[in-house]
Amino acid sequence: MERQASLLAARGVTDDRDRLLSADDPLADLHARCGGTLPGTLAVPELLDLVQQGRRLGLKIAREFSAFDGVNMVSGFVRVHPRDGEVGGGCELFIDNWQSQVAPEPNSRDTAQRLDAIDRACAEATARLDRDQRVQIFDVTGPDLDLLREALSQFRGSVWTDHVSIEGMAHRQPMHWRLLDGARCRLPGSQRSWRARLLPVGQSNGAPLGFELFLVADYPFDADALDAESASAEQTHTQIIGASVTPVLRQPIARIIANAETIRSRLAGPLRAEYSEYAGNIASAGQHLGGLLDDLADLEVVEASDFSTAREPVDMGDAARRAAGIMGVRARAKNIELNLPIPEGSHIAMAEFRRVLQILINLVGNAIAYSPHNSTVTVAAHTAVDEGTVSLTVSDQGPGIAEDQAERIFNKFERLGRENDGGSGLGLYISSRLASAMEGQLGVTNAGEPGAAFRLTLPLNLSD
Amino acid sequence: MVSDAVLARLRGMLNDVAAQFAARLPDEGEGALNSSADQVDALAKQLATDASLLGYLHTVAIEGLLTERLEQRASIDPILSPLWQELIASTDPMIAEIAMQALAAQSRFMQAQRRMQHPMGEMPPDTLERALEVLARAPSISNPADAERAIGLLKSDYDEAESRAGQIARLVTAMRGGTIVALELEHAGFALFASALADRTAQPRERAVLACHKRQGARLALSLRAAGLDTAAIERQFLTLEPEEQAPYGLTNLSVETARALLLQSGTPGVQPELS
Repeated sequence: MERQASLLAARGVTDDRDRLLSADDPLADLHARCGGTLPGTLAVPELLDLVQQGRRLGLKIAREFSAFDGVNMVSGFVRVHPRDGEVGGGCELFIDNWQSQVAPEPNSRDTAQRLDAIDRACAEATARLDRDQRVQIFDVTGPDLDLLREALSQFRGSVWTDHVSIEGMAHRQPMHWRLLDGARCRLPGSQRSWRARLLPVGQSNGAPLGFELFLVADYPFDADALDAESASAEQTHTQIIGASVTPVLRQPIARIIANAETIRSRLAGPLRAEYSEYAGNIASAGQHLGGLLDDLADLEVVEASDFSTAREPVDMGDAARRAAGIMGVRARAKNIELNLPIPEGSHIAMAEFRRVLQILINLVGNAIAYSPHNSTVTVAAHTAVDEGTVSLTVSDQGPGIAEDQAERIFNKFERLGRENDGGSGLGLYISSRLASAMEGQLGVTNAGEPGAAFRLTLPLNLSD
Repeated sequence: MVSDAVLARLRGMLNDVAAQFAARLPDEGEGALNSSADQVDALAKQLATDASLLGYLHTVAIEGLLTERLEQRASIDPILSPLWQELIASTDPMIAEIAMQALAAQSRFMQAQRRMQHPMGEMPPDTLERALEVLARAPSISNPADAERAIGLLKSDYDEAESRAGQIARLVTAMRGGTIVALELEHAGFALFASALADRTAQPRERAVLACHKRQGARLALSLRAAGLDTAAIERQFLTLEPEEQAPYGLTNLSVETARALLLQSGTPGVQPELS
């Protein structure tokens, strides 16, 4: 049994309604990529089947499973152990032989056909067009498409593009069907955004005899959501970096860094020292770029109008220790001692743990960056019961912060004149925004003296 | 597909399964069935009423007999095949470990087959559930609570990962892309061959075993093709299994995908075709 445990790749626990309660990284990651939340119903179909079967039979079962995570085919050998009578009554999962392979390239023709079938089934307005794209017959079902229906019945035999506005095309319509197929468009009277599909009818070689037209909406019609939708439209636009730019750029940046590191460490063969150094520069520039991207994504989040944080009791000592643990490598590299004289459980704030940790990592990271070698960075805690606050002070033995800088330092993109130290000028700004969101504040306590000291003040936990 | 040898094993295994269940019932004392042998007979008779259970045990008997016949005819070791030896000697300690555990299970299986026994822990979960349901309804059990308790005991002892089929499936998974080498009977031995065939064609293992039986030549050829073997390799397997039978002609013209689709569509008598 001992040996079996050492082969384990991931472990997970589900409850009596097959919701995944906790899982090791590979499983949690797969679950998330399949669209699941934690805790939430197990989203990997084959595993869900096995868990249901195990629970129904009350038997320990063991099978091979495979799943598609969007990029890779993941497979492994899973053992499902139902926890009869125990709290929750779900199952425990043990997975070994975890392997992930690039999925075979799907047959493009099959994929295209499947997409066509999906569009055909989801279309809320369909029409049959003649070879000049004039509407011959039509069927409009969308509840917000009354205007379109009227227009089409009034102007029989008109060209379909007379009744819809094609986005981004001012050209005289109708254009060639290949250009119109897949075009985004707006329909009269509908708030939703639509996509037009034009599929030729008739022999595949030679000119088409006519077309099938499908108008497919991006999301189903929901009268209640209409108002809310327009209100939050602004918001979704501003979160473009976190939602679309960061995920796309992260992989190429990671590859740049990895390759540059390979060159720098001469893993691929001997190289002159200068080139190795250049590669080192590329790697650190890549790391800077990655960090900047994270900062920009955070910036978007904290600047969103609906940004809010959770409220939970946070042990400041625990948070400080974890931040120190994460930054330990950097501190050791400069032989800096991290001094944390905070007893466990003595200073409890009401805040969100994740955000407090984020602020502390930023503060401790700054302290390490601006401290001389062989110095000490101290994190101290203080509870002021009469003021109802808990505070943490991070102090270093660096040059300190001048009085005129103490205010500016929290500004967006403020670099205080430094150019090439790898910072984005966003860290302290984000931290101070986070502190305010948790009804606390972040400030400099000893401007003008040597050795900077930053104090994070948060509301005291009064719940017990 | 039912010879005397198969029938004898079937009877033996039914009795063995019944005995395992009876052993977990409390002693009935005076006045009830006068000996546990009578109880075992009654339970075995009850088990024999279920077609799916008989179908499963039939497959087990066929695997046992085929393995023995391959030993006599083609000198294929029923337990330690060359491939298994390689897996045990693998430089990957994980594969070596799994192979060793699976080998022990295979050796227990062959021993049980010679004794015409079949531990309930070796059944697939669905079959076990079915067997327990059937047994619980046996008229010879006077107290339903006793049956309930026996079922609870058997269920908590069960772990598919510990069964031979589970262990071999785990070994085949660990071989990753290399499972095609297990499709050479002389090299892999029957047990690994059947599991690898099931794995590569996404069939239940029982169905892969049945395909290897005489007069199932078309199904075997289709399965081997679906698993990705070429004509020469398919003919070699036929020669090993049934020297007097020939592989169907024209297999080269059948693409691996078509073979897979044909297999998926076909059911097996006694085995419910799966919806997929």
